[in-house]
Order: sequence, then C-alpha cells, then structure tokens
Amino acid sequence: MRDFQMTRRGFGFLAAGAAVSAMLPVSARAAGAGAVAATFPGSWEDAYRTVLTPMVQKAGYDLTIAPALAQDQLAKVMASPGNPPYDTLLMSPGQMAVAIENDLIQKIDPSKLSNWGMLDPSFQGEYGPTVTIEVNGIAYNPDLVPKPKGYRDLFENPAYSGKVSWTGFASNTAVMAYTEIAKIFGSGPNDMDAVFKLFKAHPEHLKGVVDSTNHQMTLFQQGEIAVFMCSTGNVARLKSLGLNAEFAHPETGSPAAPVNIHLTKGTANLDAAYAYMDAAISKAAQDQLKEPPTEMFPTNKDVALTPAIEAYVTREQLKAMVYPDWVEINKHRPDWIRQFDALVAG
Amino acid sequence: MMKASGFPYVVPMLLLSVAFFATPFAVLVGFSFAGPGGATLDHYARFFGDAFNFRVLVNTARLGLETVVGTTVLGIPIALLYWHGGRNLRQVLIFLTLIPMLTSNVVRTFAWIVILGRQGPISETLMALGLTGMPTSLLFTELGLLMAMCQIDLPLIILPLIAILSRTPVQLTEAAQVSGAGPWRILVTVLLPLMLPGLLAGWILVFASTSSSFVTQAVIGGARNVYVPQLIYREVGTLFDWPLASAIAVVLLLSTGCLLVALTMISRHRRLVGHA
Repeated sequence: MRDFQMTRRGFGFLAAGAAVSAMLPVSARAAGAGAVAATFPGSWEDAYRTVLTPMVQKAGYDLTIAPALAQDQLAKVMASPGNPPYDTLLMSPGQMAVAIENDLIQKIDPSKLSNWGMLDPSFQGEYGPTVTIEVNGIAYNPDLVPKPKGYRDLFENPAYSGKVSWTGFASNTAVMAYTEIAKIFGSGPNDMDAVFKLFKAHPEHLKGVVDSTNHQMTLFQQGEIAVFMCSTGNVARLKSLGLNAEFAHPETGSPAAPVNIHLTKGTANLDAAYAYMDAAISKAAQDQLKEPPTEMFPTNKDVALTPAIEAYVTREQLKAMVYPDWVEINKHRPDWIRQFDALVAG
Repeated sequence: MMKASGFPYVVPMLLLSVAFFATPFAVLVGFSFAGPGGATLDHYARFFGDAFNFRVLVNTARLGLETVVGTTVLGIPIALLYWHGGRNLRQVLIFLTLIPMLTSNVVRTFAWIVILGRQGPISETLMALGLTGMPTSLLFTELGLLMAMCQIDLPLIILPLIAILSRTPVQLTEAAQVSGAGPWRILVTVLLPLMLPGLLAGWILVFASTSSSFVTQAVIGGARNVYVPQLIYREVGTLFDWPLASAIAVVLLLSTGCLLVALTMISRHRRLVGHA
C-alpha cells in the first residue's frame, strides 16, 4: 500500500475546495430556492416543521423552520437591515407594532395566497394572515391547588401563597395578565403602579418570578410551581406530557392575542415565503395543527373545532376575549420592564 | 527582537485576531458611544447612574469570585488525588472531568433543576437526616446557583492543575516528609506554590465563564438574581436599546479584563515563576 502524501499546495487547494463547497447552500439560498421562517421554539417549531415543511416542498420550495422568540426575531432582523436572516416572522400584535415602527416588515399581496378567502376578515391583516389566536388564562395543577377564579383570587386566597410563578414584562403573556390585574386593583390597564404595589404587599409571589413561560413549563413539570399565566397551548402541551394541568379562564375575561405571519422587508425569497404562508392557513395544515399536542385554534373557517379546543373557547366566544391595546403597552413597556426587574431583585 | 523570517508565521494569527476579535470589539465600543448628535458618554452615565445596574455588576463579580473559591476548594483535592493515583484512577478521574465538559451547558443546567428542586436528592437528603420537616427548594437562590456554577466550571480548574502536577514527581512529598514537614505544611509550603500557575489559569477561566454564563444564571438564578448577561439580553432583545447594551458589555469586558491582567501579572511574578 502506498503511503498517503500531500503537499502544502495540495492541502491549500483541498482547504479552498472545502470552503467553497461549504458556501454552496448560501448561494443556493440566495438564488431563491427556499424560505427561512422564524417560529416560536418548542411545540410550534416541531409542529410547523412536521406539518408545513412537506407541504411547502410539494409546492416546489424548501422551507427552513428557525426557532426564535418574537423578541429575538426582532433583534436579529434589526441587526441586519437589508439582509434579513428570516424571510418571514411569527409574532403577536405587540411585536408587530414594533416591527412596523422600525420598518422591518412589509404589506402582503393577498392575491398570491390561494387560501386567503378561507380566513375570516378579522384574520386578514394587511401585514400578513393570522394563523391562530392564543387564548390566555391561568394554568394550575389540580392536585396542589383549587381552581383559581381569576387574578384577584391568586393574591387574596392563601391556598396560592408561594405556589404561583410569574414572568417579567418582556413576556406577552405576562403583560396581558398584568394589564388585567391593573384594571382590577388599579384605575385601568396602564396603572402599573397598582400592580407593583400589589407585588410589594405579596412578596411570596416575587419568589416565583422567572425569565420565560418555557422555564415555567419545566418548573410545573418538576412540581416546583402549581400556577402560572399561560396560553391554552401551554396547557395542551403539559397535558400531552401526561401532567395534571388544567386551564382556568379568569372571571374578568381571557386576554387573547392573534399570532400572525409577516413578510420581512428585503426578503429575497418572496415566492417561497408566500408558499409557506399559504400552507399555514390551508385547511390541510390547520386540520393537523388543531390536534394535540399543539391544539392551535384554527383561523381557517372551513376547519371544524375539536371538542378539546371548544372546551377552551368557541368561535363565538372569540369576540368576547380581551384584546389589549399594544400600541399603548409598547409605549410604557421599557419603563415597566425596568421597574419590575428592580422590584423583583429587591 | 523578532527575527524577520518569523513574521509571516504570525500573520494568520494576527489577521484572525483583527477579523474576529479586534474589529467586533471596536464595533461594540463604537456602539456604546453612539448618540444622535455624535459620540456621547450618555449610555455609560445611564448605566452607572442607576443604582440597580451597579448592584447587578457587583453581584456578577461576587458570583464569579465565589465560584472561583468553590471550584478551588473542590478542585485541589481532586487534582492531588489524580497526582497520587495509579493509572486506572487517573483514567477514571480524567473521564469524569471531561465527560461533563462534552455535555451541553444547557443540559447540565436543566439537570440542576432536578437536583435543586423540592423533590431532588438534596431536599430528600435534608429530610431524611431530619434537618428539615418539609421539602426544600434551592432553585432561584444564590446558593443553588453557586452550587450549579461550581459543578459546571470545575473542569476548568482541574485540568490546568493536572497539567502542572503531571510534570511534578510524586517523590517531592516524600522528600518533604523526610525533611520533617507534616501534611498541612507540605500542602501550604510545597504543593500550593507549585500549583499556583495552574490555579491562576483556572481562576481566570472560571471567573470569565461564570460571569458570562447567561443560561445557568437565568434558569437556576431565576429573575430575582439578576446578573450582567441578563441585563445585556434585556437591553438587546426586549428593549432594543443597543447602545446601552454595548456600554454594559464593554463594562463587563473591562471588569473581567482587569482581573485577567491582574492575575496574569501575579502569575509572572519572579517568586511564583521560581516556584513553578
């Protein structure tokens, strides 16, 4: 057998060849072969990859599902203006308002979406379709605590003392809960001083403050907490893991947030992005996404609700949900975040 | 003086340093001074003007130093065991040191949730010993975070110590014993000075790793224990105040850098070099 020998020049050519081949997917992507879609991590990411990727491939495009929280999506797009890392973003109205203000997303052309007509007009946004409605409330472990009546109960009933977990104002779920609490204990949704005062009077609730709903899901699993502010999707996920988790609608009304797909400004893969959007609002996709473990509320009116989803909310009840004023919230949010962090850190 | 013929070999390293360290750092510093009307110190003033931020900086440095102490106390006996051990014991120790390093930091952090939780082994042990009547959770406490950080960063101090001790003959302790020194005297006057360069290298690594360990700080420390990386993440990812985030990052880099320079200067001290 001959000894393997390589000259320095040969090694140089090999390294250069490897570098060029490593860049090939980049050039393929630049040529418009596929879309990169930002999706929330966890169950969203799994579901979208499993359900939508084959559908988009059938339409002739590649789809890369990239997990990122809505705030992180915004930060990354802001970091590379003109060359966005994602072709589409997935976010609620809170982040959508920031994206519009910073010129990060563009209006869509509905004529490119064959399933557009299957959406209720309230889900046909000029900046992209609403793919589901997140209904928020209170998750609780019935083995450890009684069913909460609402936010007031969590502070006034000693059964919940030290068993409730909260997150900071960076979380949309938390902000929606805090604006409701501000209505109950203060003069209106923006009276956050009343909320801070309430937490000061109940320091046992500050012990359970963590960074995100994802951490709370882990803590709930471990029996560390018994109650947290959540969406119906969080509870569906916990149930699918075999946990005893239940959802409670607050007596003052459940806050709700539409989740929309947006087209990033400057995207080079428009057709693939539209194919992905169209797949996400199609009957075929939403029929699968309404099943456990995701149990997403379908926005396509041809999709029938499952009994499990109807137990949370019906199409008629959607109108009675609480829809916060995100423009007003965004105005105060930085200040609330800083104040709450200082309060929590003591 | 550097030989003229040696310079080309340094060029790739220089280029890499400029491209991947100096340039990004310059951009970061530039951002931290960016204002609407030109360069400004406003972001630094905002950072230091808020007592909360200053407290976060102090807490971060304190966590780094506490972890340095914890890993040192745990690492020295393990390194000495390796030094005195036979081939099999050494292999086991190296295996146990390296395996955690090959596991993702995120996985190790989430494992600590189970260990520190109400139903974890620590709580169960305390209850079994009758030290507490109810389940105890160390999650979201500084002590819990310190324990997790010490375990996660322990290899960073053990490996430099092993590297130093591997070059040292074991007979050294026998010689000291023959000269009449007891175990503590051998440890303090012979072994610790010998291990000091390794300790200094380990301290730098542990301090830098702990003070920038975003995931562990956020998950185990919770929101009550805020450290500088979380502050930077909040400014970038939630408030989108990049100039302030850059200023905080520069402050973190400088404070870690100062400690690094101080430890490097100590490690180059003539008396220490003599011992090594």
